[in-house]
Amino acid sequence: MNAPTDRDLILRARRGDAEAYGDLVARHQTSVFNVCYRILHNRADAEDLAQETFIRALDRLHTFDLEREFSPWIRRVAANLCLNHIESHKPSAPLDEERDEDKTQSPGEQVEVKERSEQIRSALASLPPHYRLVVELRHYQELSYDEIANELDIPLSDVKSHLFRARKLLVEKLHAPD
Amino acid sequence: MHLTDEQLNEYLDNETANRAEIETHLDSCDECAARLSALQALFTDLDSLPEVTLPRDIAARFRPRPSLAPQLPHWLTLTATLQAAAALVALIVAIPFFSIMLPKVEMPSFTTWFFEIQSLWTSWLDTLSNLALSPIEGFQLPNYQFANLPTYPVELSTLFIALAIVSIFWIFGNGMLLRNNRS
Ligand SMILES: [Zn+2]
Repeated sequence: MNAPTDRDLILRARRGDAEAYGDLVARHQTSVFNVCYRILHNRADAEDLAQETFIRALDRLHTFDLEREFSPWIRRVAANLCLNHIESHKPSAPLDEERDEDKTQSPGEQVEVKERSEQIRSALASLPPHYRLVVELRHYQELSYDEIANELDIPLSDVKSHLFRARKLLVEKLHAPD
Repeated sequence: MHLTDEQLNEYLDNETANRAEIETHLDSCDECAARLSALQALFTDLDSLPEVTLPRDIAARFRPRPSLAPQLPHWLTLTATLQAAAALVALIVAIPFFSIMLPKVEMPSFTTWFFEIQSLWTSWLDTLSNLALSPIEGFQLPNYQFANLPTYPVELSTLFIALAIVSIFWIFGNGMLLRNNRS
């Protein structure tokens, strides 16, 4: 038997099948958590916001357009929730110092990759919230300028200026000559 | 005239209509080519960021919770099922008796019973008050006869009716027990 599609699970979840929604969450929870973690740079907050994303999504599931893909939609919901979260809560918890787990490399390589990943995450976390969100939507969710403007309800010129300034800041942090 | 930051960004984002024009300049200008490769290195860095593992299973929160009550032991479930089956058999056996014996059953009138009991109670009270008034006369319980009470009111058919009622309750009771435990 083939695994049910996201669409099948959504239809069942709309009829109140909690097991189906659980399966849908299981499929997308890691990518949603990673969206939150890239924007918030704190694991505990990212977990909370990922859970909140799926609670909100369940409420809005009846408005979801079944002709579209679920994954991009849920990731955009997550990104927006994270922005709201940053804007309403000034960061209280210190930024995460934990290192990423990646078991595919040898110990030497692993340390280097971890350090580089951590530098990238720290650089992202140092950006103003709106810049972080635009980078997330462009680089990790691969939205076009127009789609970002639509999603965030801001003018196209703002999308460009936020994105280009964000990149300038990131280049300065990550590629500064030693 | 060098390329602007905006042109370089739009070029890498595939959001420009002037690709050929920009490429011509990049071919002839080392400075702009260096700016482009710095930006490209950033894209590579951002792409290289690994996904981290989720510390806990969020999906579990959304799945239906397993029953909090512990499952009944297997033998108890089996016993309950067997009892229900036995009661059902008894009920089926009793049904033919109903059809044969039910018309013959003469239930004693409840009003007659009620009056008998009431008069018994009144005479008891009389006796007690007499004793209180004249304790010297001695204590003797009045000896009453219950002429109207049937001598042996529980006949075989009545037993079957009782059995049937008990069986029905038994089946319902066991059914509810098993059903509640399963959910
Ligand atoms: Zn140039």
